[in-house]
Amino acid sequence: MKRIRIHEEYCIGCRLCEINCLVKHSRSGKIIKAFRGEEPRSLPRVRVEEEGYLSFALQCRHCDDAPCLENCPTGAMYRDEETQAVLCDEDKCIGCWMCIMSCPLGVIQRERKTKKVASKCDLCRGEEIPVCVKNCPNEALAYE
Amino acid sequence: MSDIKTRYLLVGFSVAGWWCARAIRERDRNGKIVALTKENGVYSPPLITYYLGNKVSTIDYRSGWMENLDLELVPGGEAKKLERENNRLILASGESFVFEKALIATGGLPIVPPIPGREVTGVFTLTTPRDMQEIREFMKFQEGERVTILGGGFIGLKTAEAFMELGVKITLVELANRLLQNMVDERGSYYLEKALERAGLEVIKEDTVSEFQSREGKLSGALLQSGKYLPGNLAVVAIGVHPNIDWLQGSGIELGRGVIVDEFQESKRAGIFAAGDVAETKNLITGERNVVAVWPEAVKQGKIAGENMAGNRLSYPGSLPVNTVSVGEVTLVSAGLVNPPAGDFEFLTTVSDDSYRKLVLKDGYLVGVILVNRIEKAGVYINLIRQKVKVESFKDRLLKEDFGMINLPAEYRKHLVEGASIEV
Ligand SMILES: Cc1cc2nc3c(=O)[nH]c(=O)nc-3n(C[C@H](O)[C@H](O)[C@H](O)COP(=O)(O)OP(=O)(O)OC[C@H]3O[C@@H](n4cnc5c(N)ncnc54)[C@H](O)[C@@H]3O)c2cc1C
Ligand code: SF4
Ligand code: SF4
Repeated sequence: MKRIRIHEEYCIGCRLCEINCLVKHSRSGKIIKAFRGEEPRSLPRVRVEEEGYLSFALQCRHCDDAPCLENCPTGAMYRDEETQAVLCDEDKCIGCWMCIMSCPLGVIQRERKTKKVASKCDLCRGEEIPVCVKNCPNEALAYE
Repeated sequence: MSDIKTRYLLVGFSVAGWWCARAIRERDRNGKIVALTKENGVYSPPLITYYLGNKVSTIDYRSGWMENLDLELVPGGEAKKLERENNRLILASGESFVFEKALIATGGLPIVPPIPGREVTGVFTLTTPRDMQEIREFMKFQEGERVTILGGGFIGLKTAEAFMELGVKITLVELANRLLQNMVDERGSYYLEKALERAGLEVIKEDTVSEFQSREGKLSGALLQSGKYLPGNLAVVAIGVHPNIDWLQGSGIELGRGVIVDEFQESKRAGIFAAGDVAETKNLITGERNVVAVWPEAVKQGKIAGENMAGNRLSYPGSLPVNTVSVGEVTLVSAGLVNPPAGDFEFLTTVSDDSYRKLVLKDGYLVGVILVNRIEKAGVYINLIRQKVKVESFKDRLLKEDFGMINLPAEYRKHLVEGASIEV
């Protein structure tokens, strides 16, 4: 499968990936509305971590033996047959947070929608290139 | 009746059995697998309380994946006896199976202490779909507006959560001086108790039910040791589970609290493995033998048993108690040694009005964690415990606001991000 490769040496910590991810996963898909008009505001599913001069953007690795999937008691966390991405079926999700407890990278968040659900990178379902990769000005993320 | 022959026999087909079957199939496409389950289908135990609380519409577990497993499921197939000299198992129905490799994964049974009146109508346990159906039926015909839950452990709390959804008045009775006594400390319990109180639930600690009183065979109330009386016609005993091993008496399998297994999940009888809530394994941190009855360990043990049954030789690093509970407005995560015995343990904590985090270190390694409400990094901490990563050099950063992968040693971080199983 194609995965997002992280090049921490190129990351400048600008957080454009976070902004684009948030907008992509908002209800309107529009930047101003997503930040100003939607309550609760959507969460970015990629996170820029920083320490001193070092920074990188981190999102789900869609692990082969994904512990989040193995430990999900509802089957909400599943692997897409076609893309091999690990995705959360929000209808099935009960917000038990077994997945959060299991992810070694800490990249799943609790999101309040009509109910509380697990929120994580979905490789921008259907997009050819995930928006974090597409909008990184310095090629610190690559999709290959 | 003549024997049915199979290469693999899975006795119990829930979490451990399911993941065992999957692991077998990864290595052996064709070997025959027979899976027995006492219940009617394959279900997810944690969904039982959610179903009772009308939060999910099915308790099925990954039924869509069953075809790929290509196994013969025997619903209602209750194992009765394992012969001492042969690899032969007999069911309650009289059917018998002869196997090459077997997995014992019969899970746990609820503990019901000998409280007078425990057999009257209205006193339940809640660990199986049948229990759940019985409670539903019972509530249809009762004014069941009030429930007493005995046990403030994690099944007790899950039960409380279900009844909260149903708008029933709940009293939770716990013998210890805190709730979730194995998962949190007194401070952790304090946040939980506050949240329960806000949700309108009554918590009584350091007390227990001394008698279930009844009228015409039906529960009328619970009398507590303290003399307090809780009227009501519904009670749930939820003080824990113990390994379901009685049926193995006389089988030559070594039994302690559970089925004693080695690091390959194999019992003392070669070719017979055990995994999940029925298995007694070594604790990852203390090295003591114990039964850790939680989902993630059932998956891990099941997978290792499956690999090894199909010819591999993988070892299980040891069991780690891990769990998470959300009730009312509070969410808790706990892992490892959270209330260590006296000794040179180091504690790192942060405390605020609505959150609490506690890390327990020993010799520079993380060995336990409690998180109240701020749980997003739970998996990172738990993995540091599992992988035995020395945290001494960055321990001052572990509880920082923006703690993340970036604070971990570069090799470990890169291993996780680019490691064998997790490609970038
Ligand atoms: C209400 C509830 C909520 C839970 N919530 C959580 C949670 O949030 N997080 C968590 O980590 N864990 C939770 N658990 C615990 C978790 O479900 C167990 O750790 C896990 O199910 C263990 O799996 P297992 O396969 O070992 O056994 P079980 O799931 O107990 O399955 C045992 C299987 O054996 C079968 N069986 C029993 N006796 C026989 C026999 N004689 N012959 C043939 N088959 C037999 C049963 O039919 C069943 O299929 C919860 C448990 C319950 C009951
Ligand atoms: S959420 Fe975490 S555990 Fe799950 S696939 Fe992604 S990186 Fe792996
Ligand atoms: S929070 Fe949702 S996706 Fe995560 S384990 Fe629970 S049900 Fe599965």
